[in-house]
Amino acid sequence: MTGRRRLGLVAAGATLLSAAPLATIFDKWTWLLQVILTVAMIAGAGVLTRTLRFPSWAQALGMIVAMLVTLTWIFPSGHELLVPTPATIAHFGELIQQAGEDTRSYAVPVPDRDGLLFVAALGIGVVAIVVDLLTAVFRRPALAGLPMLAIYSIPVAVYLDSVPVTPFIVGACGYLWLLVADNVDRVRRFGRRFTGDGRDVDVWEPSPLAAAGRRLGVVGVLVAVLLPLAVPTVSGGLLSQLTQNGPGIGGGGGGGNGKINLFASLSGQLSQNTTVTLLKVSTNEKNPFYLRFGVADQLTAEGFGNQPPNGNTLNRGSLPDPRREGTTNQTTFQQFHADVEVTDGLRQSLAPLYSYPVGISDLAGTWAYDGNQQVLYSNRSTTNKQKYSIDYLRPQYTPDELRTALALGRDDPIRRAYTAVPDNAYVNEQVAKLTRGKSTDYDKVRAIYDSFSKKYGFSYSLSTQSTGNLSEIEAFLKNKVGYCQQYAAAMAWMVRAAGIPARVAFGFTRGTPEDGDTYVITNRNAHAWTEVYLQGFGWVPFDATPSVSVTGASRPDWAPDVDRTTAPTATAPTAAAPGVSSSASAAPNQRPDKAGDLNDSSALGTVTTDEDNWTGLLIFGLIATLIALLLVPALRRVLLRRQRHAATAGPPPAVIDPSTPGPAGTVTGITVTTETAQAREDAHAAWDELIDTMVDFQIAVDPTETPRLTAQRLIRETVLTDQPATAAELLGTAEERARYARQPMQGAELAAALRQVRSGMSRSANTRVRLRAALLPPSIMLSWRLGLAEAGTRAMEWSGRFGEWVTRFNPRRLVNRAR
Amino acid sequence: MTTPTWGEPTGPLTSAEFHAATQAIMTNIEQVIEGKSATVRLAVAVLLAEGHLLIEDVPGVGKTKLAKALARSIDCSVRRIQFTPDLLPSDVTGVSVYNQETRDFEFKPGAVFANLVVGDEINRASPKTQSALLECMEERQVTVDGTTYELQAPFMVVATQNPIEMEGTYPLPEAQRDRFTARIAMGYPDPRAELAMLSGHGDHDPLNDLRAVADAAMVRRLIETARAVHAADAVQQYAIALVTATREAPEIRLGASPRSTLQLIRTAKAVAALEGRDYVLPDDLQALAVPVLAHRIIPTADAQLNRRTTDTIVSEIVHRLPIPHANRNPYDTRAAGGGTQYESRGR
Repeated sequence: MTGRRRLGLVAAGATLLSAAPLATIFDKWTWLLQVILTVAMIAGAGVLTRTLRFPSWAQALGMIVAMLVTLTWIFPSGHELLVPTPATIAHFGELIQQAGEDTRSYAVPVPDRDGLLFVAALGIGVVAIVVDLLTAVFRRPALAGLPMLAIYSIPVAVYLDSVPVTPFIVGACGYLWLLVADNVDRVRRFGRRFTGDGRDVDVWEPSPLAAAGRRLGVVGVLVAVLLPLAVPTVSGGLLSQLTQNGPGIGGGGGGGNGKINLFASLSGQLSQNTTVTLLKVSTNEKNPFYLRFGVADQLTAEGFGNQPPNGNTLNRGSLPDPRREGTTNQTTFQQFHADVEVTDGLRQSLAPLYSYPVGISDLAGTWAYDGNQQVLYSNRSTTNKQKYSIDYLRPQYTPDELRTALALGRDDPIRRAYTAVPDNAYVNEQVAKLTRGKSTDYDKVRAIYDSFSKKYGFSYSLSTQSTGNLSEIEAFLKNKVGYCQQYAAAMAWMVRAAGIPARVAFGFTRGTPEDGDTYVITNRNAHAWTEVYLQGFGWVPFDATPSVSVTGASRPDWAPDVDRTTAPTATAPTAAAPGVSSSASAAPNQRPDKAGDLNDSSALGTVTTDEDNWTGLLIFGLIATLIALLLVPALRRVLLRRQRHAATAGPPPAVIDPSTPGPAGTVTGITVTTETAQAREDAHAAWDELIDTMVDFQIAVDPTETPRLTAQRLIRETVLTDQPATAAELLGTAEERARYARQPMQGAELAAALRQVRSGMSRSANTRVRLRAALLPPSIMLSWRLGLAEAGTRAMEWSGRFGEWVTRFNPRRLVNRAR
Repeated sequence: MTTPTWGEPTGPLTSAEFHAATQAIMTNIEQVIEGKSATVRLAVAVLLAEGHLLIEDVPGVGKTKLAKALARSIDCSVRRIQFTPDLLPSDVTGVSVYNQETRDFEFKPGAVFANLVVGDEINRASPKTQSALLECMEERQVTVDGTTYELQAPFMVVATQNPIEMEGTYPLPEAQRDRFTARIAMGYPDPRAELAMLSGHGDHDPLNDLRAVADAAMVRRLIETARAVHAADAVQQYAIALVTATREAPEIRLGASPRSTLQLIRTAKAVAALEGRDYVLPDDLQALAVPVLAHRIIPTADAQLNRRTTDTIVSEIVHRLPIPHANRNPYDTRAAGGGTQYESRGR
């Protein structure tokens, strides 16, 4: 087996090793089988085409076909017989789309979903092809590290906290294997290998002389893994932990009076670096709305604060039934049952609940329920490792129903209690502007709610620090960057300013679905939203935070996602029927939860699309980076040319006849004026540019040739005629006079000549050469390579000297002398 | 014999005058020697470089004719010496003869007392006679019986020799060869030139029709003008590099002398002037390296066994040395001592 074919197999193996990071993404190992099958088929196709001595493009094509066929086998659409048909491609498209949805619905580790498996197999297959081509065809295995790195970047993007180290080591080993195999092959082609003591080494036996290289490799990997662990970074480690003001999850016992700082607790949970599962809830409701545990309903100069809840203990008296309460008499309810299991990660004296509980059981300790706040609290017990079940009512209502809600009278106690706002000119002005012309409470609320959208310039960022006081809320309204608690508090304030009761609710978003009706809720699901009191419907939730940025966000009909294109904007159609008073709470109509997390804006740049499809973004970013990297030589070449043209295309001084003045003998010495010096520099710059251009167009450059001869050969070899030929001769003459004559040629249009020669050369070159000259100019690559080689030589010399110096301290030297 | 006269116009010529004068000489010579303009130009360049010319080729290609045509074209004193085995040094330099009337020895100048000396078949004379030319060629003077006689300016020896015929010849000693600025080979004419020669030479010798187009004074001014040509530092370094390379080449037993460096630059100046330039190019040096250097070097026995001629060795050196450049060519790693040669084509 030739080295090339063998290299192809090594490339496949290395690709498989570098796919190790996917193990942290998937829950099961099905993906591995499929990926191995795909890569094996691709490698087989590569080896086969190479054995049959196909050209490079045919090898690439063969591998692509092999990948498509394999994918068709593994993910058949059912309409084809082993060979991909248009239906298969359409099926693939569906799978990719499905994968895009799955990435939003599932958190890591994800279950075996067809779409995700397909994307995994496809991605690894593409990487395998690229690695194979780079290694076996182009003999540039070092570049194969880029696609391999792309695989590794997936867990980096998905895991916000520390990324597992092991897959990186496995992948790095694969990469090193590839490099080693390539170099062994190179040495093997060079000739016989032998040990230091003169013994021949078998072809694939590691050379004892390479021990130093292996040691270096191991040290390199170790350093690469260990160094980042030691260095504190912005997103993980000391820095961000020290800057957080909240302790994270409401600490043990968190205030028997229920007076914990909900805002600080929330921001602490969201900005933690690790993801901790707080509770699991299973419910028979199809798309449950948020779990809630606290309310902040007092607005003071410090911002929203929570009153201590006040209610009856569970043992004495049953929970209030909203169906019979006057405040919610307009609402229809549906009853559901939920089981909550809290882990030791959540120890607080406020128990997470769905709204309107009508029965709570199995909760250990003494707990009391505040019917107004709908908060279950305890003075002594915490939720630590509690398991309890809730029967709750889910209100069902529509925007049209809500629009019937009448405004509360000025003296209504609820309105008095929950519309107290500090006087703030900016907020008042904004509210007045937004609610102008709106007649019903609901329309006013919707106008305010709709304003928290991209359209109005709001964007989500967890990196803003907030304790929730008034000046900060106002600042948020002005600079429009913040996260859920700022959105919730700001909206509540504005709604209050419009004369409608509002408060901020705290809790958790839906979480990640698991086994059907069970949802896993982590600290990333901690959330805050606004509740607005509408007469006859009670406290109606509005979540103003952009849903794309919130894990498990949910949008009911009456408060749709404002950033969706279909969402109605600030003006809601209206027909305010005189309302009947009733009350209700949430009954949302939701979309599936998404995986990932909300503060990923820092990991992936800004979340800009409606669909925060991180895979798409990632691929796009990688491709953009790759293209940018590939364009660097071309850019460098263009810059260099600009620089030289700028040097050359100065204002033409007094025009002198470019024809030689002859052996006048009148000029006895060399007069150096600034003009002549400049003219010399110009000619040199133009000549260097011409030489570089020749290198770019793969015309040999001979340092033993004089400028005149070079120009003549250029004209001959590239068949320049007319203007370009004259221009080339002019450049040659200018350079030779700049170098050897007393007076350089002045006033010649060297820049124009350069352009003409270049275009002439490009005309006579074939497309491949032209493309290469434009995209990967050989002159730049060559000078870089030479520079690198020179630096390498210098480093070798230096290390040699260092080694000699170190040898002086080697005790073995003394031993040898003793002998 | 012309002697410099007072009142003769001196000083360098202008470009146009120079061009006209040299062109006239070359055209004149080419009336006789058809189709050999490069050789003719080189011969004139040697004249303007104050050098001596060795024309080496097989018999019958026009060696002597070229020498004579050059001599005829310039209105100056010309002597011709036919070198024969029995020629004596005094025949060349001159001899002191006892004069009965004055009762004293009187110096009878030899053949070298002329502006142009044509030495035919120089290698047929014995080495001792050949050596008579050593002093006059380099120092432009003759010392006989303790008296030194200056030769006239310009002074140029044009010698011919036959490299093929070995019988009865004495190869030129190294010292003698080093005194010749350039060695040129005539080469056979191409068929067209030969045809022209047949028709032209059929009834009479065109050499007889040649009229002088310049005189010694003009030649002196031409020489002065050629001397003023500028040779940049880089060009001088290149000349030194070329000569040094012949000394260091492994195939060469004896390299070129420092005198050859000087003569190389001088000839290059003359060539540049003939081409209408007032500065020397490396191209000139490259073109002159073989004529100026090749006849001075002695290849090693190995090289001779390998049938390596000095011409090929020198031209290989020319193709190996990088061109001097004020701002170094970034692709030229050879000048820096690196061993890698730039390949423009990728693998």
